[in-house]
Amino acid sequence: MKILVVDDSEAFRTVMTELLVRAGFHDVSQAKDFDEAVSVFRNEKPRFTFVDMVLPGKSGVELTKELLKLDPNATIIAMSSIINKTMIRQSLDAGAKDFLLKPTNEIALSSVLAMWSD
Amino acid sequence: MAFSFFRKRAEKAEDKSLGISRKYVLSPGRSYVIEESPPDVSFDAFTNLVSTLDEKGKKTYGLMLTRQHPDLVRQKYGLESTSIYWLATKAGDGVISPTNLSILAQTMVKFAEGHDDGVILLDGVEYLISNNDFNKVLKMIDQVNDNISQSGSRLILPVDPRALDQKELALLQRNMERLELPGHRRA
Repeated sequence: MKILVVDDSEAFRTVMTELLVRAGFHDVSQAKDFDEAVSVFRNEKPRFTFVDMVLPGKSGVELTKELLKLDPNATIIAMSSIINKTMIRQSLDAGAKDFLLKPTNEIALSSVLAMWSD
Repeated sequence: MAFSFFRKRAEKAEDKSLGISRKYVLSPGRSYVIEESPPDVSFDAFTNLVSTLDEKGKKTYGLMLTRQHPDLVRQKYGLESTSIYWLATKAGDGVISPTNLSILAQTMVKFAEGHDDGVILLDGVEYLISNNDFNKVLKMIDQVNDNISQSGSRLILPVDPRALDQKELALLQRNMERLELPGHRRA
């Protein structure tokens, strides 16, 4: 199963990828911003995309809408290091399936993947 | 009085469910010790439980006792209506002194008695131990744990394993459990 992690922090992308690999998901791609994410998403067609809500330039909400235009069946999971309810609701309204608080952990990550895998 | 303060907070308007999924399975009546530093998993688990509804569509109420300032915690975790106490030596509303273990225990016990599906996060065990004898803190936690086991609430207890010796850690863990992975599947 292909997974894409979108976050402007290289350190976070690396940790997230390690967590996903440890959870048994080895096909993980990364992108640092809106444009790179759209490009990788087009080429890789990931089943899951984890999107940081705060990205440089266009926001995670805008990215979520764009990715779902490209593939309405994609599963987008919003992420943020704070719980901003307005932003979370905007992400869910845009089509994100769920939310993960950063830094995430194996328990929360595995739960989200199990929940939305079917 | 500490209890009346959190009662007032609990009676405030409820946080509405965010529409996100419940990611942690914490059995009612159980206490969980989590070895970690910083206590990210503990805060995430607590926040997730109070921000989501259970299988019956019921809200989970929370009580947090923490070394971090409540304003910062509320801001970071979006916990507008959750009762949060600051473990600190500064006097004030919503503050519990680390040496006042009886008030601390009473606050948690009353919460557990008053909520059949609650969750308590006690963050700062190391701080309590540094201000008291370890055995006094252990006794207080055991007392709370006994009450938790007779209620439908849960206790989350993050501990920094570097701050405790093996024996102390074993004593803290002896009546507690670990978090389990919910419905873990592989791709």
